[in-house]
Amino acid sequence: MSALTTARRANPRARRPARYAIAIAIAVALSLVLVASSILNYIYLDTVAGRTSLYGLLAVALIAMGTFIGVRAAARDPAVRRRDFIRAAVLLGLAALFWLLLIDVFIFTDAAGPRVAAVCALACLPTTAFGLWVVRRIDRNEKEPWRLVLVAAAWGAVVATSLVIWAESLWQDIAIRTLVPGPGFDVSTAFSAGILEELAKGSAVVLLFLVMRNEFDDVVDGIVYGAAVGLGFNFMESVAYMTNLYAIFAPDGVGGYAAGFQWYARQVLGLFFGHATYTAFVGAGVGIARQLPTTRKKLIAIAAGFIVAIAAHFSWDAWINLFPIVQNNFLILEIHLRTLIMTGPFTAAVIALLLLGLHIESQALADQFRKEAALGSGAIMPDEVPILMSPWRRFRQRLRALGRGGLRAYVRLARLQTAQVDLAMERWHRERQEVDTPLEAEQELRSQVISLRKQLAA
Amino acid sequence: MVAAPVDQVRTLYRTLLVFAAVSLFILVAGLVEFAYFEPPGQHTGLKATIVGVYQYDPDHKTTAGPDRNSFPRTFQFAAVVDWSSLPKNVVVDARWYDGFGNVVGSVGPGTPDQLAGQTIVPVKVPPGFSHNLPGHYVFVVERYEGGAPVEVIGRRVVLVER
Repeated sequence: MSALTTARRANPRARRPARYAIAIAIAVALSLVLVASSILNYIYLDTVAGRTSLYGLLAVALIAMGTFIGVRAAARDPAVRRRDFIRAAVLLGLAALFWLLLIDVFIFTDAAGPRVAAVCALACLPTTAFGLWVVRRIDRNEKEPWRLVLVAAAWGAVVATSLVIWAESLWQDIAIRTLVPGPGFDVSTAFSAGILEELAKGSAVVLLFLVMRNEFDDVVDGIVYGAAVGLGFNFMESVAYMTNLYAIFAPDGVGGYAAGFQWYARQVLGLFFGHATYTAFVGAGVGIARQLPTTRKKLIAIAAGFIVAIAAHFSWDAWINLFPIVQNNFLILEIHLRTLIMTGPFTAAVIALLLLGLHIESQALADQFRKEAALGSGAIMPDEVPILMSPWRRFRQRLRALGRGGLRAYVRLARLQTAQVDLAMERWHRERQEVDTPLEAEQELRSQVISLRKQLAA
Repeated sequence: MVAAPVDQVRTLYRTLLVFAAVSLFILVAGLVEFAYFEPPGQHTGLKATIVGVYQYDPDHKTTAGPDRNSFPRTFQFAAVVDWSSLPKNVVVDARWYDGFGNVVGSVGPGTPDQLAGQTIVPVKVPPGFSHNLPGHYVFVVERYEGGAPVEVIGRRVVLVER
């Protein structure tokens, strides 16, 4: 390593990375699209829809403020960071709630009533929460912070859905007025959903990658964030379909059945097989790009992730009619088989990338644990290496701490282990020349580990 | 001599590129399918005359009232087509599609002379339901070529209210 490089990396007041500028540009572009969408809705849709859409501008403003404060908080002093994060969370939460309310009023309330909309939303909450819990758990070496997973899901639910409403309506309107109804029209609609929805969802993953690089380590993290965005989108889409179909079929007495079927198809059967799988590919592409050496390869990886996501989404929407469901004794079996055959291969491909990513990550962390222990800094002891290498053994060690010193000891040991994994991850990225943080950051992590060890011993 | 260790991230990258190649094939297949069902160069400039969309009496098989763009779901309705406005050598049909894309009423395909007695094209209530399902209904008059519809020569969109 040259002296010049060392000096630059050691600079504690490093220049703000260019990726922040890209992130701001994307955020501004998305906000402009959202504002344009609201204004266009106001002008062209009927009075109620237009009025509520204009109110949507407030939700957009809340999201923008929440995101700004949340991103700024990451770079702040720990004393004010917590306060800023809480403010950002409150603003995002308000925006999400406000938007949910809007969707209810805007689309459904008139037909199905707010009570039905609330019941549908409540029915989808536990399943979506379960999905997010599973997705976060699969990152067994270094779980992503809940706040970022929830922000990803909120963006999928609120921002991505808002981004596509106008564009998809416009596409659909043009298609209805120009195309021959039938398979060609279906393919056009599938292209609309695949391209527009994956771009809208994927933009959240790209923004997380650009802004929260420290929490975006590799392909595993990318899959986690991508799937979280997909689950958020799936939540809002499920509520929309359930309430809409309830309103359509309720006068014939089968509204509850129609909504219940949608809930099962989207929140149980399609929980991981639909949007979660599609957007996980975007995350995988971004996560792989995170670790590639050249800009060209990074861009190719991100584009590849988007292409797979769009193709997976497109194939479901375009060719679902190739597997028509017949009302017979095998109805339930047919529905499951259709999902398995059409989306199963894509889900299997995501799982393959995930397993390979976990394998690479585990090997790299094990290597860094050993190197840190050999350094003799006191952050990682040689006898801790085999424990840190195994999530299961780490858990058992925490359980033993719980038995000996109660919950306090459990939490302290968990913090120590997390900090040790963070240190190993930082070392891995530095070894691969993938970090733009100064060398002091690594030393700071080391000091943090040693401090946590002292707290645990006390 | 010791070989340099293989960067496993490169394996991930290449795996993703393989998936992307397959995905491109899927998307190209979609474009081909679209081109097959929406063949370019089929625009003839023909226009079918859709006289209007009216309330329909299924018992007497007649229409009544003014031309409308929306109906309550309890109303039955039908489109009226003037087939005589089309050249005699074209093959055409007319179809109603409901909000889910299902065909819920049709006549043809046939030549305008063959369809002359079927100027009223009603929407049929789906089996098992007492009324039409709400949503946007699309009525199209399509020109056939090689046994498949290739061009829409008349179109109306009607809203069935909730």
